[in-house]
Amino acid sequence: MTPFTRRDFLKLSLATSGSLALSRLMPAISATKENQNTSLPGVVILVFDAMSARNLSLYGYKRPTTPNLERFAQKATVYNAHYSAGTFTSPGTASLLTGLYPWTHRAFNEAGLIARNVVERNIFQLAGEKYHRLAFSQNTWPNYFFGQFRESINKILPTGSFSLIDHLVGDKLGKDSLNGQRAFEDFLFQNDAVPPSLVFGLAERLIHRYQLNRAHSEGYPNGLPRTGSYPVVFRIEEVIDGLIETIKEFDTPTMAYFHLYPPHSPYAPTESFFRSFQGDNFFVDKPDHVLGDHDSVEKLNNRRRVYDEYIASLDQEFGRLYDFLESSGFLEKNYVVVTSDHGEMFERGVMGHNSPLLYDAGVQVPLIISAPGQRSRQDVYLPTVSVDIVPTLSHLMSGKTPDWHEGEVLPLLGGQEKPGRSIFTMYAMKNPAFEPLKKISLAMRKDQYKLIYYRAFNDYNREDRFELYDLEGDREELRDLYPDDPAITRSLRDELLGKLEDVNSLAPYMA
Amino acid sequence: MFLFKRIPTRDQITPVYAVIVQIIYIWTILWFFWKLPSLLYYMTMGEILATLTYLLATNLLESLVILCGPLFLSIILPMKWFRDLFVVRGTALIMPGLGYLIYIAYHFQSRNEYPAIFFKWWSVSLAVFILFAFVFFAGRVNILRKVIEFIADRAVIFLYIFIPLSVVSVLAILFRLIF
Repeated sequence: MTPFTRRDFLKLSLATSGSLALSRLMPAISATKENQNTSLPGVVILVFDAMSARNLSLYGYKRPTTPNLERFAQKATVYNAHYSAGTFTSPGTASLLTGLYPWTHRAFNEAGLIARNVVERNIFQLAGEKYHRLAFSQNTWPNYFFGQFRESINKILPTGSFSLIDHLVGDKLGKDSLNGQRAFEDFLFQNDAVPPSLVFGLAERLIHRYQLNRAHSEGYPNGLPRTGSYPVVFRIEEVIDGLIETIKEFDTPTMAYFHLYPPHSPYAPTESFFRSFQGDNFFVDKPDHVLGDHDSVEKLNNRRRVYDEYIASLDQEFGRLYDFLESSGFLEKNYVVVTSDHGEMFERGVMGHNSPLLYDAGVQVPLIISAPGQRSRQDVYLPTVSVDIVPTLSHLMSGKTPDWHEGEVLPLLGGQEKPGRSIFTMYAMKNPAFEPLKKISLAMRKDQYKLIYYRAFNDYNREDRFELYDLEGDREELRDLYPDDPAITRSLRDELLGKLEDVNSLAPYMA
Repeated sequence: MFLFKRIPTRDQITPVYAVIVQIIYIWTILWFFWKLPSLLYYMTMGEILATLTYLLATNLLESLVILCGPLFLSIILPMKWFRDLFVVRGTALIMPGLGYLIYIAYHFQSRNEYPAIFFKWWSVSLAVFILFAFVFFAGRVNILRKVIEFIADRAVIFLYIFIPLSVVSVLAILFRLIF
């Protein structure tokens, strides 16, 4: 054993006093960091699935569907011509979360995934370590994206959180939940056909039936709200309660993404609104479209009524959430974004979404953003698109925007109004994610004009077709100007086709 | 001791298990190939294989669960009646039993559908009666017995294909879950 020398004693003393001084300094350092963090604005993104802006009284719809959203909008910025970049959850949500159009993120198939080479381009990654990043989606497909973004998210709440019935396996497989969820929920326990898992698949259906029979469905005359193809069943009020409790627990700056399933079909209005719009003589009659499903006008109007009642039911619960956010002072320190991933159609023979038709009912969605301490309503009327949300939030959270996004910082939140800007929305479900887009409907909105392009649809003998609408004079998109060939047509068409050619030349799409 | 005596030998269990494996795995794999073209639209080969590992691991578990059925009967029924004729009676129980399960599955096209008729007492009793009648005659009618033994014997080949694949799948899943 070596002797303890004077030199060792001096070294030890120096080290001890140094660590003591450092330990006294540490709280001060962390306090400074904490102070810096607490000065950061939090961000809550609230997405209502399949909520068309055209069915909200906030945007001038005749039925009083959203009095509480209107209350919220009184102290927020309302974007009056906001579009989703896609017609259903996968492309719409992926664009919202990445700031990329579907031709770049490639999640345009049902249950599609974001291209593996752009997966790091997302809002959670941009928020960075200084934010606690939380994600929750009742819809399973955005949950797949969370699985892809896992490294950038601190906490992912299971899809069945705050619900009466959850997935049996679903997202409970920890690190491998993305693959596990796809294998079980989209395959072994698939809902749209016979279960490929003969024993457990049948058992899952029987267990689901048993749970459903035991769930209390009072207050929901059409049955409890549920998530379409997946087994999650819930009560809206309990989900909102869950969100309130979750928000109460925020003790550091938080970037939270909440994706709620309503008002997505199956529509389940509460007793308070069930049949509340029946007999109000509101009727929409638009001509059938050759690419539509040819549902009758009566059927469409009937479903539209139930959808509107479901929106009103949801809005009532949103009102409770808004009251909490306001009374707790949450709105004083946080940005709250309310939007949707896509719209819903009840016209031209189409009911729902997943349609190549790109009329405003299917792609125009709400966007309302409340800034910390905002006291009055502001309105933006120029077209905006879901890919704008990522650069805007990045700008608000860090003062910077990434160089890879395909949107613009939103006007009145740090961006400039840019008349003449072109924005796009598309349906490309029938294309492989790994190849150029061949069969596609693509709409370009520029100023008051909207040009829709249909490529390679069999109903058009695979010939190119265009429709052009002037939304200032023809809000309902009933008068196709394309055959009249006004002067604007050629430049719009050339721009749209040029854009498609550009994006198709980006192959290969995946690393 | 009483229990061990009643459990069939490995040579008896293998062909019965092979029949179970054959039906359970092929049912899932047929669906897998039916879905494969759409999966190729948006999933990479690695992701598709990762999904496949879950299917094979689930099938392994399902097949073992099903095997418990004839093993249980072998324990509770008289040895002469079931255990001594385990290959024939077990296979005779499994083949129509799983066939009936497939028939029921076709009536469960979604979670919203519930073919209540299959779960009524008379319906279940009738199915069980027919099943056991078949099991009974399978041991008595010589030609039927030979056909069943022939099928069970030939099915063993599936064990050599599916079980190693399933074991590899289970290991792959464990690896992904841990690391």
